Amino acid sequence: MLAPSARNSTSSTSSSFATSSFTPVTRQNTIGSDGPRSVRASKRYSVTALYLSMSAHDKDIEIEDELAKVQKTLRDLKAKISSQSKKNFVLEKDVRYLDSRIALLIQNRMALEEQNEVASHFDESSELQEGTFPNDQKTQQYGNLFFLLQSEPRHIASLCRLVSMSEIDSLLQTVMFTIYGNQYESREEHLLLTMFQSVLSAQFDTTPEYSSLLRANTPVSRMMTTYTRRGPGQSYLKVVLAKQINNLIELKELNLEINPLKVYERMVKNVEEDTGTLPANMPRSVSAEEAAANPQVQAIIEPRLTMLMELANTFLATIIDNINETPYGIRWICKQIRSLTRRKYPDAKDQVVCTLIGGFFFLRFLNPAIVTPRSYMLIDNVPSEHPRRTLTLIAKMLQNLANKPSYSKEPYMAKLSPFVSNNKVRINKFLNDLCEVGDFYESLEMDNYVALSKKDLELNITLNEVYATHSLLEKHYKELGRDTEHLSIILEELGSAPPQLPRKENRAINLPLFSRWESAIDDISAALDITQEDVYFMEAKSIFVQLLRTLPPMSPAVRRPLNLRKIADTAATMKDMGMFRKGMRGLELLNQLKDLGVITDLDNYQILQEEVEQELVHLGSLKEKVMEESKKLDEVYKTIRDHNAYLVSQLETYKSYLHNVRSQSEGKQRSKQQKQHVLGPYKFTHQQLEKEGVIQKSNVPDNRRANIFFTITSPSPGTFVISLHYKGLHPQDPGPDITPGCLTIKVHKLTVVTLPGRNRGLLELDLKLDDLLEMQQNNHDELDLEYVQFNVPKVLALLNKRFARKKNW
Amino acid sequence: MQHRRREYNIVILGAGGVGKSCLTAQFVHNEWIESYDPTIEDSYRKVIDVDGRSCILEILDTAGTEQFTAMREIYMKTGQGFLLVYSITSLNTLTELSDLRDQILRIKEAESVPIVIVGNKSDLEEDRAVHSNRAIHLSEKWGRVPFYETSARKRQNVDEVFLDLCRQMMRADANSGWGSDGYGKEKPPGGKKPPKTSGGRQGRSRFCVIL
Ligand SMILES: Nc1nc2c(ncn2[C@@H]2O[C@H](COP(=O)(O)OP(=O)(O)OP(=O)(O)O)[C@@H](O)[C@H]2O)c(=O)[nH]1
Ligand SMILES: [Mg+2]
Repeated sequence: MLAPSARNSTSSTSSSFATSSFTPVTRQNTIGSDGPRSVRASKRYSVTALYLSMSAHDKDIEIEDELAKVQKTLRDLKAKISSQSKKNFVLEKDVRYLDSRIALLIQNRMALEEQNEVASHFDESSELQEGTFPNDQKTQQYGNLFFLLQSEPRHIASLCRLVSMSEIDSLLQTVMFTIYGNQYESREEHLLLTMFQSVLSAQFDTTPEYSSLLRANTPVSRMMTTYTRRGPGQSYLKVVLAKQINNLIELKELNLEINPLKVYERMVKNVEEDTGTLPANMPRSVSAEEAAANPQVQAIIEPRLTMLMELANTFLATIIDNINETPYGIRWICKQIRSLTRRKYPDAKDQVVCTLIGGFFFLRFLNPAIVTPRSYMLIDNVPSEHPRRTLTLIAKMLQNLANKPSYSKEPYMAKLSPFVSNNKVRINKFLNDLCEVGDFYESLEMDNYVALSKKDLELNITLNEVYATHSLLEKHYKELGRDTEHLSIILEELGSAPPQLPRKENRAINLPLFSRWESAIDDISAALDITQEDVYFMEAKSIFVQLLRTLPPMSPAVRRPLNLRKIADTAATMKDMGMFRKGMRGLELLNQLKDLGVITDLDNYQILQEEVEQELVHLGSLKEKVMEESKKLDEVYKTIRDHNAYLVSQLETYKSYLHNVRSQSEGKQRSKQQKQHVLGPYKFTHQQLEKEGVIQKSNVPDNRRANIFFTITSPSPGTFVISLHYKGLHPQDPGPDITPGCLTIKVHKLTVVTLPGRNRGLLELDLKLDDLLEMQQNNHDELDLEYVQFNVPKVLALLNKRFARKKNW
Repeated sequence: MQHRRREYNIVILGAGGVGKSCLTAQFVHNEWIESYDPTIEDSYRKVIDVDGRSCILEILDTAGTEQFTAMREIYMKTGQGFLLVYSITSLNTLTELSDLRDQILRIKEAESVPIVIVGNKSDLEEDRAVHSNRAIHLSEKWGRVPFYETSARKRQNVDEVFLDLCRQMMRADANSGWGSDGYGKEKPPGGKKPPKTSGGRQGRSRFCVIL
């Protein structure tokens, strides 16, 4: 007879499978138990796994109710996020590399060979073609190898510890975005976390004192960086930070500096600018103590302290309120840190433990996003000076909260100590609460069974990823430690790792995974410790739920209270073969269960009927949840797609620039008679450019904007002439609100001299692609044209779009 | 403004936990800090006498935590002299310095910049993982960049590394007058760096007016 606990748990657990998703908060948090594995728990999971595998394998009928539809949307969305975030990760690497190289190129400090090397990088960013391994045998061997690597995370964990810091990035990319790349699939997520745990505990073993724990840059910290780039981490950061950071950076002029020295300096500067001199009692530079004692400085700082504390409080409140939004994986890692610390330092006070958790959660996850939000896709542009400093101060305050601050470093920070003392209890509770998540070992075991019974386990991977992993294993496998027997057999068979392929020959492949040592499980119940009664019961439940979701809603068979026999009968008389078979099987099961004494027709099979009802109710509320989750993920997907577009356009710009440079140097050698083709002029209205964000600020009065337009011409690749025109203006007239005569405009280090009265335009400027790129390099986002202010990245994008010549501009 | 004290921006860089903050706190406040306190960004000021000349040092202590690397570029732009700190107990922390130096040179557009290599935690001899030869080798490779082993805990060689860096910055100052590229200039009144000249580059027409 089925244990009651087993049945009750199935309805809540099956949800995570029904959505094929990873829904940790409802699942792990409610079911997980920290204690040793109990017989009952094990049984419960077995039955669950059984139910899951039964619902999973059914291809007889396709359920097409509302729930199935939203679930499908969600599944697709998750797959898209997984693959898109991998693409972005790779693109980011390319862009980072090019960022550093392009600077040299602009400075004319790059040799020709290196230019070619850089150029070769561009080929690497186009889409990969599909392909296969050279032969079936290799496909099998690699399929076997990657099954082993995926299902036994300890190998990769050891590898992570052995590889050098220069090798780890590409290894992690393969691990996090390919081997465990289905970021919303519980089995892969759990295996990845198992790997984390083993790397983490090795770290605890080798670090002598806790004061240096988790401080250094190690494989673990690198893993963290990469891990947070996956979908769930990004959604979370968006939820807790995006709105507040965006609000803050809007306030460009809000200066909340509280360092007395800096405040004093600015004060002096202001006085000097206003009056032209400095009063005798205002020396230009003072000591930190003198600045702090200055009453004027104090008066400036006072209200800023209050504001900073208010701001930090809102950040903190949002973080605490959203504890349930925190990705399960992050929380679970916090939990590991807590238990490892307690194990290693049994006398450690709660405060010390919290410090370590905070040293991870705030230092490695939240604060980097607060301090450099652009790198985390939370905002579009680099924040200007004041908001940047404010964000840094907020991050420092939050960090102080998590750690024991030593105000002796920066004494002025002590003024913010009320924030720390008022929130100390709160934060420690929060950090402990973060750790309150269940473990997943048992469900992982079941997931592994289910995975084994799936016959279509596949990995989408590139040849170069396969070869790189192979060569790392080859290099380090002697040090991988114990239990590597299977691994060494496969490596032996594979022989030495092929070298990396040139980009053009690299292929994306679908590698079927299988295990040579564990045969696929056809009959999962045999593999699990459960009785025949359980099997029948679960199958019956699964069938009736499916039938009810498939029968037309108007059918008399679905009327309440449910009559199971009638449902089965109805299905068994339908023309649809799938329904027919299901109906027949349902009837058969009812009889078998009756014979076994599990259910009786005297009470209308009440036990089974109730459980079917429960499951349906559960599925009903599931739809809302699924839709809610889809909505959230939709936004995440949009963000990472936008980011992708940004990365691609960045790459395009660099590409054009490089081609331009190279064709020019080639051109020098060739005859000069080739005539350059002039592109443009293209006309743009003020309104148009404003809408596209090219104009980020305009000093042109509203009523005159309609009269302003711009033309852009590209006389030769890489050069542009932008002119500003004023409709209906006679050549002799002064421009809109400008003083006649000579006007000098500072464009950063450059000087533009404008003389009104030319019929070619009020203002014309020659623009070289180099200049724009250099400004972008230096984070100068503003191109100041006096009347209007252009946004440099947007200008680049516009030029890119309009003037794309074949292979160069 | 002839007699204004010279002002220099120093930036402390290096991996997480190598002791950058302890070193700085020892130098500025004569204090040993033992707490678990990873840095995000701290600034200090100290006035010192170098060979009879008074200098104001603006010291920026940065985050070694790798997640904050996006901020480095800004630091490097403002810095005039750099302490590149590693810990003698971890070889990785020494290898990480090369990337830092590359980035500095790139951003400064210079062949050399005042730098001191600092091997901290020299009191932990029993945990030593980096032989001083390795750092000396690195120093040679970089064109004999000064190298010291220090102990923030014991306050050994702490003043020395900062003084060495100051002397380098002062020398760089003397060698380059106004307007040339490089580093270590006295700040002009606005507090901004003088405009970078684009001398030596070819074919660069800047914004100009077509008349
Ligand atoms: N024995 C010894 N320990 C040191 C020394 N310097 C620093 N430490 C210890 O190393 C740990 C880290 O020191 P910090 O100065 O905070 O390290 P940091 O380089 O500023 O680290 P981040 O701010 O995270 O980049 C602290 O626990 C110090 O006690 C030293 O010279 N000797
Ligand atoms: Mg520090």
